[in-house]
Amino acid sequence: MREPWFKIRTPLSGRRRALLMAASFVLPVLLWCVVTYTPAFQTEMRLTLVTEKIGDGAVFSVGDRVAKSYFGTLQDNVRAVNAGVLEARAAGGAKGSGRANKKKLRQLRGLAESGGYLAGVDPADFKAVDAVLFDLYGRLAGGDIAPGAFGLSDENAALVRANWEILQAAAPYGEKDFVKEPLQYLIPQGVSASPVFLPPPGECLAAAWTDFTTEPANGQPWMHQRLLSSLKVVFGAFLLACLVGVPIGLLCGTSDFFAKLIEPFVDFFRYMPAPTFGLLLQAMFGVAGAPKLALVFIGTFPHLVLMLGNTTRGLDRSLLEAAQTLGAKPARLFRSVIVPGVLPRMYGDLRVLLGWAWTWLVIAELIGEKTGLTAFIDTQGGKYNFDRVFPVIILIGVIGFATDQLLQSLGRTLFPWDVSSGAPPRRGGLGRVVAAPACALGGAVAWAVERAGRPGPRERAAAANPGDHDA
Amino acid sequence: MPDHHPATESDRAAGEKPPALPMPPEVRARFDRIYQRPVVFDVQNLSRTFISPQGQSIQALGGVDFKVHRRELITVIGPSGCGKSTLIRIIAGLESASGGQMLLDGQPVTGPGADRGMVFQGYTLFPWLSVKKNVMFGLESTGRGGAAAEREALQWIDMVGLDGFADHYPHQLSGGMKQRVAIARALANKPRILLMDEPFGALDAQTRAEMQDYLLQIWRNVDVTILFITHDLDEAIYLADRVLVLGRNPGHVKEIVEVPVPRPRTPEQMFDPRFTRVKQRVEHLIHPPGEAPKKPLPVIRMTAVGDEVF
Ligand SMILES: Nc1ncnc2c1ncn2[C@@H]1O[C@H](COP(=O)(O)OP(=O)(O)OP(=O)(O)O)[C@@H](O)[C@H]1O
Ligand SMILES: [Mg+2]
Repeated sequence: MREPWFKIRTPLSGRRRALLMAASFVLPVLLWCVVTYTPAFQTEMRLTLVTEKIGDGAVFSVGDRVAKSYFGTLQDNVRAVNAGVLEARAAGGAKGSGRANKKKLRQLRGLAESGGYLAGVDPADFKAVDAVLFDLYGRLAGGDIAPGAFGLSDENAALVRANWEILQAAAPYGEKDFVKEPLQYLIPQGVSASPVFLPPPGECLAAAWTDFTTEPANGQPWMHQRLLSSLKVVFGAFLLACLVGVPIGLLCGTSDFFAKLIEPFVDFFRYMPAPTFGLLLQAMFGVAGAPKLALVFIGTFPHLVLMLGNTTRGLDRSLLEAAQTLGAKPARLFRSVIVPGVLPRMYGDLRVLLGWAWTWLVIAELIGEKTGLTAFIDTQGGKYNFDRVFPVIILIGVIGFATDQLLQSLGRTLFPWDVSSGAPPRRGGLGRVVAAPACALGGAVAWAVERAGRPGPRERAAAANPGDHDA
Repeated sequence: MPDHHPATESDRAAGEKPPALPMPPEVRARFDRIYQRPVVFDVQNLSRTFISPQGQSIQALGGVDFKVHRRELITVIGPSGCGKSTLIRIIAGLESASGGQMLLDGQPVTGPGADRGMVFQGYTLFPWLSVKKNVMFGLESTGRGGAAAEREALQWIDMVGLDGFADHYPHQLSGGMKQRVAIARALANKPRILLMDEPFGALDAQTRAEMQDYLLQIWRNVDVTILFITHDLDEAIYLADRVLVLGRNPGHVKEIVEVPVPRPRTPEQMFDPRFTRVKQRVEHLIHPPGEAPKKPLPVIRMTAVGDEVF
């Protein structure tokens, strides 16, 4: 019998869970591919061949984007100018200059570069570049290089041939006495592209590959160094917040005295937006790492205390009463009932808070000296290089998600008695992959705890002599 | 011991005392032996008033008086809301009394302590501890940890018939097993008195009957005095030496009824005329005849004519 897929509050089988989990990632990526690779959604042209400034039109360089609707106009403008050139030539009154013609020669530069024809040529050495381009022009016109394979449109191939009729007089290329008769412009060319804010996955992958594998210019840190620095801020601040916040939260949940003394102010404090403390923290701690830690701390700490206080108060009262009727005094109540009792839910709270710490990271890293992944996002985003920004944002997401999955399965191993979390009986593929290290880690921790809980040699000696106990 | 007729000592139902139920001589002798034993627990004029959130004061208990002798099993029964839980919680020290006092072995007690173990109606095992560690909790609280405590805990687990489950977690046990662990946990502490607040209330009839027999066996073998709260008439009588009937508004002792059914008890005794007579008596005490006759429910007919079930 086939189990139904849609059934109210009924867990699905492990395979179905895994399938859905994979789908929940595959579907957005598919959508991303569709939206960026389908021409219907590509609203822009990325220019591969441009003209110099013509008339009062705008100037574009290779790599710039124009709206598809404007691209035709741009081409028509250039065609009109060419028609003027031809007319002038026919009338015999064409006036040009070698300088202007060299500029037209350089229209090929973009395509030549991406085709690898300028490899080994110093890009700052215009003379050498021009010589190569001139040579290319000849080979394209003569058919040595197929113009289509080079990336030229048929229209431009014809123009190249027409221009070469005039240009070849200057061969072999010499710096002096270049052809003066005006050449025609090549018509601007471009490739269809998705909008700048939505680079296609392929481009993002390529950009990520270069960003992660090539040494950055100007002594900028490597990507993995940036990642490390961001991780330090997130986990450093989070651990600090835990170190201070967990005891306070537990105290608040345990005793009304501390709750009433601490919680109102903390509650007030958390409504003050943490980013507004940025400059203050910079003044207090300087511009390096400390204010960033402090900001993430300020962003997470108050929530931690309040959440934990509530969680602790939520512990079943009757457990405390049962412990009291078993003779537990306050210290033991705290140590052996409250702490272990709230541990699984506290663990859950901390997982949520770790997610928030990541959120604060982006703001924190912009304080003072920009650092880490955020600095990269900020710089590249400012240049509209979103193909380089996306991989970093996704990386943060992946790290957050993986950490959470890891902690979740670690939790299941650490707190096997906690059935409230609804631990599934079997895990799917991805879950198992993530869970494997967690189980190992959890097992190790559980083993250590178990060992620590065993009677030490002194206790064992005392136990061997039970008379001591009955005092 | 001066107190030979506890059945009538706190009877507030004015006027004549109800005749004591006829009792076989061996049962009478047993009661005499019980009354010879020292009083473990003496509740004197205990009262408790709650202030509701609206500021009204609710008197849950008004002057409750009774004594419990060593190794007696006394059950408390009464209508819902008459203050049974309040009473047992005050005795356990989880709630404070507004008036009166209680003496444990002659000493006044305040606050909870290991000398009064308790088994609650809800499941209160520590979910993060194995059965064994749960049972050891009290021992460790009173400063007796280690291997001796572990051995002792295992003995108690055997005693409630759960050998083999020592390393299970509570969520792996059935309701009846959980309550048995709770009993073992309370008894492992060797309390003077074991307080039980409707401990079997959440169990099905079958399991419940089993648990009653378990309890009687344990009580027989362990030096402990038991105060057992229930709202189940059969349970109250089946378990008890004496049944303390509480009345309500405010909670007070209506009567303490001696159960004239010999021990050891067996389920067949429930059809014994002595048993049914006590049952009738207690039933009358809880719901006195003529008090607030049942009003028919104001239900309108919603079935087709001719479709009556009776
Ligand atoms: N914390 C409290 N605050 C206010 N009133 C309370 C409180 N606890 C109990 N009461 C009141 O005291 C009375 C006795 O309550 P209690 O729980 O002792 O009844 P009970 O006999 O155990 O009832 P049941 O058989 O339903 O468990 C009730 O009227 C209840 O409303
Ligand atoms: Mg109750």
